[in-house]
Amino acid sequence: MRIIGKGAALAAGVSMLALSATQLAAGTVTWWSPNFHAPRAAELVEQFHAEHPEITIEIEVTTSDGLPQRVLTAMQSGAAPDIIDVQHGWVAGYALNNLVIALDDIISDEDDFIPAALEYVRVDGQTYAMPFRVEGLAVIFNRGHFEEAGLDPDNPPETWDAFVEAAQALTGDGRYGFAITGGGEFGNTIFRSLPFVWMNGGNFISEDGTQAIVNQPEAVEAVKFYTDMLVEHGVSPASTLQNDGTANRRLFIAEAVSMYQAGQFDLASIAAENPDIELGVMKIPYPEGAETAAILGGWSFVIPTGARNPDDAKVFVEWMSRPENMGVYTDTFPARTSAMEMERFQDPALSVFGEMLPHTRPVPSHPAWVQIMQAYFDGVQRILIGEQDAQAAMDDAAEDIQALLDQH
Amino acid sequence: MNERTRAGVIFTYVCAALVVAVCLFPFLWMALSSIKVLRELYTIPPVWIPTVPTLENYRTVLFDSNIPRYFLNSVIISVGSTTLALSIAIFAAYGFARFRFRGKAYYQSFILIGQLLPTAAIIVPLFVTLRYLGLVNTYLGLILVYMIITLPLSVWMLTSYFRAIPVELEEAAIIDGSSRLGVLFRVTLPLSIPGIIAVLVYSFITTWNEFIFALTFATDSSVKTLPIGLAEFTTEFDTDWGAVMAASMIMTIPIAVLFLSMQRLFIGGMTAGATKG
Amino acid sequence: MTRISPGLLFALPALIVLTMLVAYPIMYTALLSVTDQQGNLVGLQNFQRVMQARTTPVAFYNTLVWVGGSVVLQVVLGTATAILLNEKFAGRAIVRSIAVIPWVIPGIVGALTWAWMFHTEFGIINYMLTAPGIVDEPVGWLVSRNTVMPAMIAINVWKLFPFVAIMVLAGLQAIPKDLYEAARVDGAGFWDEVWHVTLPQVRPVIVAVTLLLVIWALNHITTIFAITRGGPANSTLITPIQIFRLAFESVQFHQAAALSVMFFAATMVIVAVYIKVLSAKEEKSL
Repeated sequence: MRIIGKGAALAAGVSMLALSATQLAAGTVTWWSPNFHAPRAAELVEQFHAEHPEITIEIEVTTSDGLPQRVLTAMQSGAAPDIIDVQHGWVAGYALNNLVIALDDIISDEDDFIPAALEYVRVDGQTYAMPFRVEGLAVIFNRGHFEEAGLDPDNPPETWDAFVEAAQALTGDGRYGFAITGGGEFGNTIFRSLPFVWMNGGNFISEDGTQAIVNQPEAVEAVKFYTDMLVEHGVSPASTLQNDGTANRRLFIAEAVSMYQAGQFDLASIAAENPDIELGVMKIPYPEGAETAAILGGWSFVIPTGARNPDDAKVFVEWMSRPENMGVYTDTFPARTSAMEMERFQDPALSVFGEMLPHTRPVPSHPAWVQIMQAYFDGVQRILIGEQDAQAAMDDAAEDIQALLDQH
Repeated sequence: MNERTRAGVIFTYVCAALVVAVCLFPFLWMALSSIKVLRELYTIPPVWIPTVPTLENYRTVLFDSNIPRYFLNSVIISVGSTTLALSIAIFAAYGFARFRFRGKAYYQSFILIGQLLPTAAIIVPLFVTLRYLGLVNTYLGLILVYMIITLPLSVWMLTSYFRAIPVELEEAAIIDGSSRLGVLFRVTLPLSIPGIIAVLVYSFITTWNEFIFALTFATDSSVKTLPIGLAEFTTEFDTDWGAVMAASMIMTIPIAVLFLSMQRLFIGGMTAGATKG
Repeated sequence: MTRISPGLLFALPALIVLTMLVAYPIMYTALLSVTDQQGNLVGLQNFQRVMQARTTPVAFYNTLVWVGGSVVLQVVLGTATAILLNEKFAGRAIVRSIAVIPWVIPGIVGALTWAWMFHTEFGIINYMLTAPGIVDEPVGWLVSRNTVMPAMIAINVWKLFPFVAIMVLAGLQAIPKDLYEAARVDGAGFWDEVWHVTLPQVRPVIVAVTLLLVIWALNHITTIFAITRGGPANSTLITPIQIFRLAFESVQFHQAAALSVMFFAATMVIVAVYIKVLSAKEEKSL
């Protein structure tokens, strides 16, 4: 049995056998595009075919449920497609496991990209993905509720203190001022609480990735600010620990919540499901004298190491990265500043989200980043459940995170 | 059993009502959700009866989605894997139920092995195996993979049903000159029909609802199954919940009706004196 | 070389199919568990790291609670339902069909429906409790350590007790009627019949069903993952979910494999003991 050998050789050997059995037309590129991007993908592919008749792009539509498993299974088993749409945050993990190839040679006008986006997908100086979509959260609020509570919807609160006061004024009669998340996939809570830590001058891990600093005063103060919405002020619903971003949107649509953090993608669903709500958008509040911040979210193209046709895939990814195409493909904002000029991004409803973009940052890059987030999230849940205070929970989280850092 | 007391009869009906309530409650909630308009899906307090019932969700599912095609795929794959599993399992179960041989307990445990491996561990290498066999994105691929789930269920349950059949019946047939296989098909199987139906229904449903294997091993619309269709109603930050509920109804009701129609075969109960041959 | 026993011959096709499917996954997982990302042998390092994680013992304990709670309730309620469905009453066929519905509802949809029914603010359950004044404050079913695991177990019992009911019901069909008649001649009441005739006769079925339930509970992901993802604060984290997270969220395939190997060994021992004990008891062969 030749199959019993080294791990990598094992997988590679089998995939070679499988490959030889598969007949592939030259010039075919398989592209996995998620269902929410796919309609525009089809449009763009048609244009691309007209310009490049020698290359055929085949779109396979993926679903967001189970996408990370599916992508990893395909990459890990060597049967990956040529191009995949993935979230920025996943790229570092792929790069560290040698699952994707570097794309530096097709990124031409580096300065045109939002720096945080490129920073996200860089590992050891090489760029492992082509960012095309970027976004940051802001706070969506119900203008009607503001007026009822005697607040001015045209001058929403900007600092932490003013924000808490407003949230308290909005709370009452089964209505909650500001919903935080504490449940669902942990990314929900990271996206909504880590920016507060940043604004306050803290972080989860030190710049060089050797020290857990999540229990330093800056971080703890911010975590306390976030969790106090439930624990201390009671302005976040009792269901906080089971709510993710989607649940909060539903509570907002049901008018049980007056403010919550969300991306521009929520605007359409709110308008469709409860057109009576008059929407307002404000920047995420910041501590007196500091600046607002948000995590840069969004999507990139990657080309897996196991791609059968990486050369043609690169041609297509380069074509997609041109401002005029990227601007069409993105669901939210494009990753290139020049594409932001396009008509569709000038909608006034989007202006605050656009203003948040320069304040967005990528999450720190570390091989154990997902486990670090998990350790932090467990700590936040321990605070919300009422078992520990912010300092104790972050001390425990720091201990877990330090153990992870020491392994690398 | 007609000498039961009145209290016993009432007790029976109360219990039956309880079973119906427990089993149907979430289902009714789904059914109601499937005919609600978007605005009424999430309200505080919840709305029981939709004020403007709509069939829009069903229209979306039947005409604007891939669900009809996936329904066909699901039928083919579930029928295929159930049939294949059952036909292999009947023999294995008979072997385990009626013979003594070395290492039987180990072989019986081995049947369960695929289910003991955590899904997360098995999925990548299984995918590699399927690629090696050239079966990714084929009906046969999923049918084979589902053996991991349906075989343990079928073998173990059938073994226990076969054991419950008195050995004396088979001995009588053997004395009459039947072969081993003849006994299996003419004596054991007919007496196990309720058991076979139960196993059939459950392996069918298990494969009908399986998500993770289907998601990974069937990436092409021509083989995708219904659970994948459900996932397609979810986009990055939103789920068309009304459509999911409507599609779930379409997935659930045919199976319940199918089982209802099989009730005739379920009346079993060996005739008095059967054991005496 | 002796000739193969006819019993083994009967079992052979099933064994071959399964071997074909699981041989490579087992080798692959074992290999992954002792190597690193570059394919170098690292001995037991992956095992050590997994064992050091604070969550590992928590998940192990939760798994025991989850499996124990689920299986006991499923078997007891399922068997009781089977006995009920074997009684003669009007509408029995319909009730039997309704009893398969929890199993037919797609797992994820069932889980999410329950999650919303259990929701503190939106949930129909709290609404039914608060509206008539049974409780004053909405109950935080899924947000408190005391209620979240019981809620998960309740959902799992709801999902699987019909399986037990139908399987046992099928077993009940095979009980010769003369056994009951004999018992009745001896003056046995309904509960005597259940205890002395019915249960002993379906014992093999219950034994097999229990084994399957234990395995399914041990390897369960869907319900818990869809509703709580193991939270809050790991109160519903069970080992299979920990493995799933390690592999597909943290991209630590090697640690996930190490944990899988340990988990596999532990479950294999449980199953082997169970089968050994039972097969010693009920060997009834030709």
